[in-house]
Amino acid sequence: MGIRYQKKSATLQGLVCAEDAEILLNWLKSKPDAAVNVTRCKQMHAAVLQVLLALKPTITGVPADPWLRTALNKG
Amino acid sequence: MSLNSTELLDQFILEARECLENIGHRLLDVEKSPSDTGLLNDLFRQVHTLKGNCGLFEFKALEHVVHAGEDLLDRIRSGQQRYNPEIADVLLDAMDYTSSLIDVIESQGKLPDSAQERSRHLAQALRRHLGEPAPAAVQSAPPATTADTPLPDWIGLAPPEWRESGRIVVRYRPEADCFFKGEDPWRLASTTPGLLHLAVAPDQPWASGDAFDCYVCNLDLRLVSEAPLAEIEAHFRYVPEQMALWRMPDAPPEPALAPPAAAAPAAERSCVQMDLMNTRLQQIWDDQRRLLARSGVSAGTVASVRQTLTHLLICRDDPPLIAEARAALGRIAPGPVPLAQWALQYRPGGTDMDIEGPGQAAASVPAPRREGGTAAEDGSTERGQKVLKVSQDKIDRLMELIGEMVVAKNALPYLATRAESLFGQRELAREIKAQYSVINRIAEDMQHAIMQVRMLPVGIIFQRFGRLVRDLSKKLGKDVSLVVEGEETEADKNVIESLADPLIHILRNSLDHGLETPEVRLAAGKPAQGTLRVSARQEGDRVMLTIHDDGAGIDTDRVRLKAIERGLIPADRASTLTDAEAVQLVFLPGFSTSDAISDLSGRGVGMDVVRNAVERINGQVELESVRGQGTTVRLTLPLSMAVTNVMMIEAGRRRFGVPMDLIVETVRVPAEDIHHFKRSQTTVLRGRIVPLRSLSELLGLDNEARMNDDGELAVLVVRLGSENIGLLVDNFHGTSDIILKPLEGVLAGITGFAGTALMGDGSVLMILNPKELV
Repeated sequence: MGIRYQKKSATLQGLVCAEDAEILLNWLKSKPDAAVNVTRCKQMHAAVLQVLLALKPTITGVPADPWLRTALNKG
Repeated sequence: MSLNSTELLDQFILEARECLENIGHRLLDVEKSPSDTGLLNDLFRQVHTLKGNCGLFEFKALEHVVHAGEDLLDRIRSGQQRYNPEIADVLLDAMDYTSSLIDVIESQGKLPDSAQERSRHLAQALRRHLGEPAPAAVQSAPPATTADTPLPDWIGLAPPEWRESGRIVVRYRPEADCFFKGEDPWRLASTTPGLLHLAVAPDQPWASGDAFDCYVCNLDLRLVSEAPLAEIEAHFRYVPEQMALWRMPDAPPEPALAPPAAAAPAAERSCVQMDLMNTRLQQIWDDQRRLLARSGVSAGTVASVRQTLTHLLICRDDPPLIAEARAALGRIAPGPVPLAQWALQYRPGGTDMDIEGPGQAAASVPAPRREGGTAAEDGSTERGQKVLKVSQDKIDRLMELIGEMVVAKNALPYLATRAESLFGQRELAREIKAQYSVINRIAEDMQHAIMQVRMLPVGIIFQRFGRLVRDLSKKLGKDVSLVVEGEETEADKNVIESLADPLIHILRNSLDHGLETPEVRLAAGKPAQGTLRVSARQEGDRVMLTIHDDGAGIDTDRVRLKAIERGLIPADRASTLTDAEAVQLVFLPGFSTSDAISDLSGRGVGMDVVRNAVERINGQVELESVRGQGTTVRLTLPLSMAVTNVMMIEAGRRRFGVPMDLIVETVRVPAEDIHHFKRSQTTVLRGRIVPLRSLSELLGLDNEARMNDDGELAVLVVRLGSENIGLLVDNFHGTSDIILKPLEGVLAGITGFAGTALMGDGSVLMILNPKELV
């Protein structure tokens, strides 16, 4: 679970906890055009959500959680 | 979960008490050294633990207070607020109230409604020190918001059909460092009961580049819920000061207020609602599966889960699937496992999801979620408990059992003797003796081990002193510093417990009568601050406690005067007493130097109560006082009082026991070395004169003490207070460990005996109490 980092994209899976936020932030800073896939993300910590909202990477996929979907403008 | 709720509650009460005790202790420490961050952190942690525990139960009144306390301490810890005596007073007040609530919970299992009012008051008192407007304003008068406060304009952002009257609108702005408190605002918001709408936006514009810190929370969460206000308040109970709540007014808001920017077309809206329903369906379904996955599921649970799942099936909009699932359900075997498999197979939304440990119920406790849901089973199992909490009754029961064991094993030597003398079975007798020595060794080890369990450090009673000294010295206008030494010295639980009251009494005496006010002290050339020293140490099988103050000491002239005035001793005797002897007068029953009755000491229940309490547990009290320099009270106590070691003696052809701790020595004195003077007898032992008394005479037995063949008399020298006295007995027998049973009923008034004990051969041994006898 957590985040799997590929060359051009990161995949959020299952529960993504607060510790992952910083890693994701640094990764996104180093790869500004990378995409983040959220399809299999069940739940993310507010810190992670904050990173996604602040850095606005390309979000691919649609999360199952309707609230998360709205928050990421995937509604 | 194997704990049922009452066990959980008991555990909670136990832990809460412990927390409160530590908190009380720490509060005083912190007051002494307010800059010690280690202490502050420890204090904060204790309060935090307590708050966390409170959250497990629906004790709102309790939680309010503790939470407010936690916030205040957090401020102090982070240096935003200075610790001062006022804050200490408020915190101590809150702590006292919390312990009284815990008492109520223990006796009634719940809290009375009246508690809420008081706790709100206290919480507000605490929050006043936070230096911010009372954030509970919304909470304390929630419905007022409907008319008085206008709705915030962002409400317009919510889709209009959710802006019905009675709906609750929430704005939740988590504080910036909330992540470091283990909170997850997003999870908290998205699990709000009855959630209809949730929007998230940055509170401040996002900082760009390196200035952005993902661990500084910058979220502004707005939500609409259809749940009752109380439920929402309960959901956000940990963050009341970060919340704003509104209830939608009865009249629908004007449509022109703000065009619903995010309003979706009707078709899409119904889609959202369907989604919502499906999510809920999934949640309930998974909850049921979690129920099945628990260990030890009863048949009734399986049946009810099955029924719930059947009902849930109807909500699916796929008739062929429903029919198929129904048919499959009819075929499966009874028991939780097949049903769980079935539930997984027909789970709405697919079968990819594994069951996580704590379900939605745990969501209300915001905590950083661990990766890998399966690992988060319960949390308690992996904490690796090294300390077991056992109730005292169980230990007491163990103690009783080992006591009986000791007595029972003592029967074996008698059996061996019988086997040899009555049946001539020498071999068997030897084997019994060999077995006896094995059992004896094990029993002794066991007894020792159980004693160790019952040992408590004396520090636990010393802990209360800090508060006592602080409060009393404040009240009396005295400046006193308490020095505690040797807190780690251990003694039996019963000894420790029976010590608490006498010690507090002694401390009160010292504070009230002993130590002077700063002005008097300065005038006498002493430092303004008085010192009260309480120290404990172990000496052999005794514990020594010393309470020393550097106050005025005992006014012996006044003591003499008072003793005569109260008719405790005749005037001519009082004048012949030395100062050291006059000091001892305070131990006389009914002695009090104080004319007025204060609420501290001087109610006539004086030092004699202390002495009685200490002597009841086989202890001794000594008092020393030097005028102008201070008073020292010394308590000597046994380490343990469960098993008594006695020596058996014979007098008048009967056997009696004498507690070993009173015996100084046993000697045989030739008859011609005994000096008769009038009616009293004395002898000289190692250059000291020892008065002799005949035990048979003391007990009213007719027989004279018998001499042995060499014309010597058996003398048992016992220590009474500070002097030795010799008891003339017939003969000495061995020693034995016994369980002393105090005399009861009509026999209770016979003070000459300390009690009785059952011996291994079934006979009853009377244990003497030489102090009363002589």
